[in-house]
Amino acid sequence: MAIGFYNAAVQALCLLVCAPLIAGIVNKTKATLQKRQGASIFQEYFDLWKWWHKPVIVTKYTSWIFLAAPIVYLVTSIMAAMMLPGLLAGNIRLGDAFVFVYILALGRFFMTLGSLDSATAFGGMGGSREIYISVLVEPAVMLAILLNASRYGSTMLSQMVIDYNAFYFTVPAVMGGVAFFLVMLAENSRLPVDNPDTHLELTMIHECMTLEYSGRLLSYIHLGSMLKMLSFLVLFGSLYLPLPLPLVVKVLLSALLIGLVETLNNKMRLFKVRVYLAAAVIMLAVAIIAQ
Amino acid sequence: MESFVGALGLYGLGTLALIWPKRLELAAHYVSMGLASIASLVVLCQSLMTLGGMGGAAVWQLGRYSLAVDGWAAAFLLIIGLSGTAVSIYGMGYGRGYLGARIRQLAGLWNLFLGSMVMVVLAGDAFTFILAWEVMALVSFLLVNHESEKKQVVHAAYQYMVMTHLGTAAILVAFYLLGSGAESFAFADLAHSQLPPVLRHIAFGCAFLGFALKSGLMPLHVWLPNAHPAAPSHVSALMSGVMLKVAVYGFGRFVFEFIGADVFAYGLIVMVVGLVSAFLGVLYASMEKDMKRILAYSSVENMGIIFAAFGCGMLLVAMDKPYLSLAAFTAVLVHSFAHSLMKCLLFMSAGAVMHATGTRTVELLGGLMKKMPWTAAFTLIGSMSLASLPFTAGLVGEWLTLQGMMTLAFESGTPELRLLVIFAFILLGLTGALALGCFVRLYGVTFLGRRRSNLVLKAHEMPFTMLLGMGMEALVILAAGIMPAPLVNAMRQILVDSPLAIPAGNFMGLWWNGGQSEAVFSLWLILIAALWLLAFLALTISGKKVIVRQDVTWNCGTEPTRRQQYTATGFSKPLRRAFDFILKPRRERVFLQREHAYFGRKLHYNLLIPDQFTDRLYRPVQHIMIKAADTLRIVQQGSVRLYIGYTMIAMVIVLIWGGM
Repeated sequence: MAIGFYNAAVQALCLLVCAPLIAGIVNKTKATLQKRQGASIFQEYFDLWKWWHKPVIVTKYTSWIFLAAPIVYLVTSIMAAMMLPGLLAGNIRLGDAFVFVYILALGRFFMTLGSLDSATAFGGMGGSREIYISVLVEPAVMLAILLNASRYGSTMLSQMVIDYNAFYFTVPAVMGGVAFFLVMLAENSRLPVDNPDTHLELTMIHECMTLEYSGRLLSYIHLGSMLKMLSFLVLFGSLYLPLPLPLVVKVLLSALLIGLVETLNNKMRLFKVRVYLAAAVIMLAVAIIAQ
Repeated sequence: MESFVGALGLYGLGTLALIWPKRLELAAHYVSMGLASIASLVVLCQSLMTLGGMGGAAVWQLGRYSLAVDGWAAAFLLIIGLSGTAVSIYGMGYGRGYLGARIRQLAGLWNLFLGSMVMVVLAGDAFTFILAWEVMALVSFLLVNHESEKKQVVHAAYQYMVMTHLGTAAILVAFYLLGSGAESFAFADLAHSQLPPVLRHIAFGCAFLGFALKSGLMPLHVWLPNAHPAAPSHVSALMSGVMLKVAVYGFGRFVFEFIGADVFAYGLIVMVVGLVSAFLGVLYASMEKDMKRILAYSSVENMGIIFAAFGCGMLLVAMDKPYLSLAAFTAVLVHSFAHSLMKCLLFMSAGAVMHATGTRTVELLGGLMKKMPWTAAFTLIGSMSLASLPFTAGLVGEWLTLQGMMTLAFESGTPELRLLVIFAFILLGLTGALALGCFVRLYGVTFLGRRRSNLVLKAHEMPFTMLLGMGMEALVILAAGIMPAPLVNAMRQILVDSPLAIPAGNFMGLWWNGGQSEAVFSLWLILIAALWLLAFLALTISGKKVIVRQDVTWNCGTEPTRRQQYTATGFSKPLRRAFDFILKPRRERVFLQREHAYFGRKLHYNLLIPDQFTDRLYRPVQHIMIKAADTLRIVQQGSVRLYIGYTMIAMVIVLIWGGM
């Protein structure tokens, strides 16, 4: 148990170190596809370094929740990364799928509270929309868990890892994979749902919540969300992408895929997201019945 | 057992506050609330001992009537004892606000209320059960009606009275039917009641109706969001946190002992009603502006989750796989326990906020964190628990419910069952996410940001007794969330020993190999790591060099005003729009000054989200009943001669009938 625990901690640390790189790769992909030169794939490291050394300005209306929120967000992302299957942690029994979901919810809870704490319309707007999206995403997440759990007879993430012989390009596998990809985009504030590049308050969701953060606190939030995205990519690769490739290749491939999807799509109207996520839910329902 | 009887005696002594002299009002209050907390503490300790197998005698006979305690009862006595103690201590401070406003009545009835709930759970025969149940209903009616100067309160109280008596009537019918097939009304005899299938279905229907009404399941919930805000806060805490659980106790007693769960439709009905209540309850909770109404609807949600888990377990029993139902039934007990803690806590903090500011409308609050730091911290723990976040008791219950559903999914061979499971997971997913949103909104708007009205200015921290009551609940929530193994194992053991006799098998083992060192159970390992990280990261920002400046929030270059903050109504706007096909919000806009089309125009805006069940179900029924009564008035003319005529006609009919 103890050794497994250390493995999990090392795994989370490795993912934490790699996360900005993956985010950089996604950005570079987008830039290349858009015929721009784009920033280096290491740019996110430089940004984090910069923010870490910048002073923090805090609004005077806030309470300790505002300061705690980015820290809790980063810590919950790290905790989620500790639970991922298929890497160093192997068969360690930390990773229950429902607990994984609720640990990320803990981070979201504090981030949203932090956004309300800044006492302006921007923060509240971001928080309100974040909750809206999360409510719509949740049924799809639950069904995605149900799909794999009912197949493998366990809600442990490590037991839900797909085996290639039996689960290969069947209807449930493909449907589940596509649906989880849609869910992943919504959960990580990627393009059809939220625009990570925009800095127009009215169009953004996640960035809107973090508008009031600066310096070191901002670096925590960015690191946390990059780690969250990498965790989802690992989950996608090991649980839902039915390709007989090593996990690292699958993660890189799906990062490229995110870059491609972000280039090809516009941001959806906020109230269209309902339809987008309903599609994911229906696909997952079909997959579960067809299984 | 003797300790329970002793506790009942203490409650009885506490009730004597009703007849204390008026000039010793305050003393009566303190003595009586003190007795209530001591008695509840006795109930708590004794139920723990019973759960540990050291409870002594299990039955206390008095002629034909008896009090009895078994595992199932002990679990609910634990809930009553724990929350009863905490809320009574809180009530010592909170009740002081009623000095000069029938405080003796409040304290005396408080004892009677707690005592009657203990009595319901201890009852060993139908007569004692119904007697205690009725006392509980009447006393809670009186408590809801305490501030009877307010018209709204009286309305809510009478609505509650009517609804709860419908429930009692249904339960009476169920007992009557069961009794007709048994030798006596003692529970032991009722368990062997032999009923033909049709009567058994009717008995089940009546029992479910009665207990669902008391637990506030939709569509029988209408009294709940009115009664809870009307009652004094510590009373609403007890009603929501404890009384609703007593209904779960009664329903469990009926299902496990008297009726059985072997009919597939029973489980199906319970589960679907539970799921729908959970979803709609939290959806309405996310729209309300009144703190206590938010909490009341959230109770509907949580009772829905409990009944969904119950139904899930019943389905597994009906499918002849009782050994798989352990997770679901354990979820019922654990979530009942957890919900009692967190709902009592939040009602207490709603009371504290009311005490401090004089309002419970969240739109008028904000920034209370700085004025009442302790209350705010305890409320945060309660809110996290209601959003079922990790390290709180809320997640343990929610997680076991999901595991129970997962067991059902695993067993669902047919497409119909799979559809049911998909439906369940969609609704539970929506419920979970909405609950998070609902409590972010409640907490964020009430405690964070800046004040939204000047009522907040006079806010202050609560006296020690009130904080102690809240702190106790918060502590248990964290303890049960971080170390759930003792709680879960105790609850599981109850079911193994219950009349249902679920085979002991390691239910965790069905899903993961191993026992307690599993996901939720080993969360504390992650917690330790998390705390280290938290401490490290917190230290890195706490230095003076890092935070250089405190300034106003950026607001496009202008000074932000307090009114620019998001309101609770605004916060839930996207959800209101996403679910408008269910909520059907009604907007009323009145332009007060028409002459200026665009500038300086005064606008009156009103948003109504009527409870659809009231509008679509209760209003028409009420309408039909009044119409029917109107029609019947033809025979009720008030003339004496007419009534003599009726009597004569009846007499003639009886004579003819007798002659035949």
